[in-house]
Amino acid sequence: MLGFIVKRLLMAVPTLLIVAVSVFVLVRLVPGDPASLLLGDMATPSALADLQRRLGLDRSLPAQFGIWFGHVLQGDLGQSITSQQPVLPLVWDRFLVSGRLVVVAVFLAVLVAVPAGMVAAWRQNSLADLVLVGTSTLLLSIPTFWLGLLILLLFGLKLGWLPVVGHVSFAQSPGHALMYMIMPVLTLFLHEIGVVMRMARASTLEVLRLDYITHARAKGLSEREVMWRHAFRNSFGPTWTLIGLVLGNLLGGIAVVETVFSIPGLGRLLVDSIFGRDYPVIQGCLLFVAFVYVVVNLVVDLLYPLFDPRVTAS
Amino acid sequence: MSRAILLPLGAALAVIGAGPAAAQTVNVAINADIRSINPGVNRDDYTDSVVLHIVEGLVALRENGSIGPLLAEKVALSPDGLTYTFSLRRNAKFHNGAPLTAADVLWSWNRYMDPKTDWRCLSEFDGRGGLKVEAVTAPDAHTVVMRINKPNALFLDSLARTDCAMAGVLHKTSVNPDGSFKSPVGTGPFKLGEWKRGEYVTLTRFDGYVSPPGSSPDGYTGAKRPLVEAVKFIVIPDPATTKAALLSGAVDTAEVQATDLLEMQRSPKVEVKTTTTANKHVFLFQTRDPLMGNAKLRQAIAASLDMRQIVGNVSRGLARPNASVIHLTSAYYDDAQRQGYTYDPAAAKRLLSEAGYKGEKIKLITNKRSGRPSFDMALIAQQMMQAVGLNVDIEVLEWGTQIDRYNKGNYQMMAFSYSARLDPALSYEQIAGPKDTQPRKVWENPEALKLIDKASATSNVAERGKIFDELHKRFMADVPMIMVFNSVDVNAQQKRLQGFTPWVASKPRLWEVRVAK
Repeated sequence: MLGFIVKRLLMAVPTLLIVAVSVFVLVRLVPGDPASLLLGDMATPSALADLQRRLGLDRSLPAQFGIWFGHVLQGDLGQSITSQQPVLPLVWDRFLVSGRLVVVAVFLAVLVAVPAGMVAAWRQNSLADLVLVGTSTLLLSIPTFWLGLLILLLFGLKLGWLPVVGHVSFAQSPGHALMYMIMPVLTLFLHEIGVVMRMARASTLEVLRLDYITHARAKGLSEREVMWRHAFRNSFGPTWTLIGLVLGNLLGGIAVVETVFSIPGLGRLLVDSIFGRDYPVIQGCLLFVAFVYVVVNLVVDLLYPLFDPRVTAS
Repeated sequence: MSRAILLPLGAALAVIGAGPAAAQTVNVAINADIRSINPGVNRDDYTDSVVLHIVEGLVALRENGSIGPLLAEKVALSPDGLTYTFSLRRNAKFHNGAPLTAADVLWSWNRYMDPKTDWRCLSEFDGRGGLKVEAVTAPDAHTVVMRINKPNALFLDSLARTDCAMAGVLHKTSVNPDGSFKSPVGTGPFKLGEWKRGEYVTLTRFDGYVSPPGSSPDGYTGAKRPLVEAVKFIVIPDPATTKAALLSGAVDTAEVQATDLLEMQRSPKVEVKTTTTANKHVFLFQTRDPLMGNAKLRQAIAASLDMRQIVGNVSRGLARPNASVIHLTSAYYDDAQRQGYTYDPAAAKRLLSEAGYKGEKIKLITNKRSGRPSFDMALIAQQMMQAVGLNVDIEVLEWGTQIDRYNKGNYQMMAFSYSARLDPALSYEQIAGPKDTQPRKVWENPEALKLIDKASATSNVAERGKIFDELHKRFMADVPMIMVFNSVDVNAQQKRLQGFTPWVASKPRLWEVRVAK
């Protein structure tokens, strides 16, 4: 097991190296540079040259990459051009904000979506199935931006139950932190339910068609035992893989939700840094996101044998 | 879920979410976080808006765009126009209680002029831009003397520039022993409270603040009493969320989009104020382009555009056309400046024929930045130009890409927005200059450049007025760009907020503002 983990982590190194080089090159291919954006329409040639020199942008690309990557190997992702904060703590702080929302939303979505998907499969083509599939399709089709705004307008403005703007950390006040989390978590929860429910339904339908389920029913087992002991564990595998992908995707940033709810998360940081050509932050964010993907998929793979004993670490 | 459960639940949530009852705090929405608290070093408009509540310079902008004393009580200019003597106010204090002295001004100035500080306006005063501050002395505790290299009518304007943080005077305790910046200890009506990056900046009242003379604010001068205990600038990136925050009372004031004006006006708790600013929305031409270099073609384009329709449409009827680079509320905006282009499609077609235009494609670059009319302007202009036979394609670029093309002069035609310059000479300087060394400039007429230099050198108002009128005539004839309109800020605020007035510099001022109970 330990060997498997080490091997997977080592395999991540070339992946991260490719990500580092690709991101470095790609951001510099985009027209515009941080100096001209910082100075805007007031960019005199001398001010522009001064700033480009201070930011190290007058060096050759290989030199810039060498300097940056050398620091990365020492755990230093550089300094933000816009805010002049060190990138790694900045990315980490923002990741914690986004990560909290994502983990809670996905956890709740799985709690609801998996049983719902199983019920839909169990009662295939019934009214319950129709309603559940219809609801999941509707939720999948609604853009998160619009969903978030609707929730904000209803609970924040119309009913006045929840704060419209702001963010409070758990360290400051757990109660208030929860209040500010409700709407963004609800938005993500509603959106991800659709995805997870459809997969849970599809994989449960496949399993319910298998002979051993008929055998279990013929043995006289109750439907609850058939579904929980036999169907669930065998059908959850693909859903588990999907959850890993969803988590990895969302942990990379939920920029739209963060923008609607004014949350200082990783997604907004990445989008703002792209628009501001804040190279160190873009590179740092994407490298970090790639690393998160590696870790999440590793955890998913490690836990997979719990659901499907045929799959082992070897 | 029954009402019996929902109502108490909602009430409970509202109570938990309300937080502690706020002492008098004014909440202001800003679209993006500030960049730093180091004045004039790493900044943008939002940063300036906040920092200029904390620091003050020797002089500052008045409401009408002229320059007035702020930390200086008065400013005297020597007959040769080279020496400025600033007599400091006797009652000004820093946030740490220390009185303002000439030594502090000297220390602050030397810090700004040190390249290690990274002051963005260093090149404006070190000779690279023509103007050089040759010496700064403090002959006594309340007098500062600055000597410049040659007469310059814009020296005080440059000192008062908001993007230079007004060369705001800081106390030595603003920096660490090693010279690195710590926190701004200024003389402004508010002190820095808390900066939660990405979320908000809070300023707290400076109880020891003594306002400059005046019965009301006059730009960044005049009365500046801090009447509330705190001001909180809250970062809200999304315009729809800003609107919701205003309507729910979560923020007290915010700039909103013109499309939201009616909805805001309908709200019983919110009032709306509009102000014409000095920001400029324009169409740029690249006069060195083989096609756009033809003056008759540019004149044809000018004649093809119905400015009243364009401006009325993109500003939702709030703004009016202005063909002059001098803003509408400037003291120099006179009858000569009011002369604009005449919408005349027949004349446009005739000019196209005279220009020898054969249907070559013209690329009109624009962007879709939120709160900017560039895309709408380009869309309407394209239709009008096509109606007279011009072959125009719109290219939408992301802002960073567009500013790169602007800086390199790599375009044919561009819908663009310039930030405010209150003095007309600075406004002309913004657009005019030699393209060989500054490709971003749009107007390189040598005679015009001489006139701009002349206007920058003389302080005589009448003489400057004549120069600007002459410049406008040449500008209209050359058509290096088409000035379309000055933007109108739409500011929505809670009715309980008293004394808050938006102004031409487009930056909120939270002094002389109170929250009615």
